Amino acid sequence: MAAKRSRQAVPLDRDSSGRYLPLLVAVMVYLAALAVAGALTMAKLAERWDSGLAGALTVQLPAESADAATLEAVVAALTATPGVRTAEPMDQQAMTALLEPWLGDALLTGDLPLPRLVAVTVDTAEPPDTAALQARLEALAPGILVDDHQRWLARLLDLARAVELMALVVVLLVVLAASIMVAFVTRMGLAAHQRSIELLHLIGAQDAYVARQFQNHALGFGLRGGLLGLVAALPTLYFARLLLQRIDSGLLPELNFLPHEWACFILLPVAAALVTMLTARVTVLRTLARLP
Amino acid sequence: MLRYGNGPEILKRVSLQFDPGSYHFLVGASGAGKSSLLRMMYLAQIPSAGRVALFGRDVAGLSRRETALLRRRIGVVFQDFRLLDHLTARENVALPLRIGAPPGGRSDKARSSDKDVEELLAWVGLADHMDALPPTLSGGQQQRVAIARAVIGRPSLLLADEPTGNLDDRMAVRLLYLFEELNKIGTTVVIATHNESLVQRFPHPVTRLRDGEVEIAGAVAGGRGSAPPAGW
Repeated sequence: MAAKRSRQAVPLDRDSSGRYLPLLVAVMVYLAALAVAGALTMAKLAERWDSGLAGALTVQLPAESADAATLEAVVAALTATPGVRTAEPMDQQAMTALLEPWLGDALLTGDLPLPRLVAVTVDTAEPPDTAALQARLEALAPGILVDDHQRWLARLLDLARAVELMALVVVLLVVLAASIMVAFVTRMGLAAHQRSIELLHLIGAQDAYVARQFQNHALGFGLRGGLLGLVAALPTLYFARLLLQRIDSGLLPELNFLPHEWACFILLPVAAALVTMLTARVTVLRTLARLP
Repeated sequence: MLRYGNGPEILKRVSLQFDPGSYHFLVGASGAGKSSLLRMMYLAQIPSAGRVALFGRDVAGLSRRETALLRRRIGVVFQDFRLLDHLTARENVALPLRIGAPPGGRSDKARSSDKDVEELLAWVGLADHMDALPPTLSGGQQQRVAIARAVIGRPSLLLADEPTGNLDDRMAVRLLYLFEELNKIGTTVVIATHNESLVQRFPHPVTRLRDGEVEIAGAVAGGRGSAPPAGW
């Protein structure tokens, strides 16, 4: 007695045309996982920069007007300004520590003129008018600079948004490429099994029945390929995380994901499977609809 | 009228009507147009000119869904069998039932259908070959699987194109009696064959085609009646 064979009326599992489809879907999901990781990381980094700098101002006195009396007058003016919570001049030791990585300790021990910085915290609900504050302090110390970091922060946020956008474009391109590939393989399958499909039609099969054969097959391929791609992406992300940890910089992102962010990654194979399934279904239905 | 592409007319001025519940033979030499006529009847071909109506409905302008539903009422025995080589005999016969079943799990109806498939295959002498793949079966055995597939759904119309071509006389007569049994429960049967000696044994109307035209329509060939042979 012969062994029981495939229950599918169209023997798609024997097609050589679809053999590499899971591998290609795996590559697509791998790329999509990296893009999603990049987007999530940049979003978190932007949020960290934003929240870290919100409610903070830096007032910089030029070295030539950074005498103790002027500094005291500036701090007093700042403290009296509505919306300012605290105004703390940075001492020489803190300044030296801040500049040492760039200038070296040898230079800082000399007579290098350094500006004085005042770290200001403001009420985020009712922050002071920075331009008006700048004008008022200018009268006390010509050349004084009130920096609310907005210009710098805006550029960083633009960068973060651009990376997020690029990641989204990568994901969309991956979906598009996967769809084209699946449509191509599906059309090849339709051509290869033309006789079987014609028979199914002649004995009363509707287009949806034929489409189900293809979509179920594509769903399996998409799921297998998607899981493979995700599994391949995990060591890459781990390796990238190790590299970033070695740099140990507050400016660079950390590759740590929260549970709901991991869910995005887990959804990738599911999404890949759904995209392959729907593409196969639509391709079959559209192709069959053109037949007499 | 029917022509393929820009080729010659395969069927010309053919006007036939098969009453519901009737049993017809369609005879004629090879190339007379029997298969083409059947192809139009099982909706594989649309006429170049003229009209085909099935079960009281003009088939022109049917939607794809309506066409599919209409085809489910038609059992077809193809001349070249058209079995799916990767499915067993049992699965081939069950195919029309699977196609008509709603998607999803197996129901009690499906289990009862399995029993019908096994009984039918046993009846056509393939009890020992239910799980055999078509390429491992002889031409006659494949033909019997094709016949079982055509009748499993108890169609309203049975169209058979040379259904006995690969069978010995005894099995041929036996199968024509199976068609008669179906006919008795209301199935309209149209059998295209070139085996006129076989046709002579049944008292049913015979339509003869010649060069794509109807030469004789509905003549009763005679025969010795529809009593089944001994051992039926």
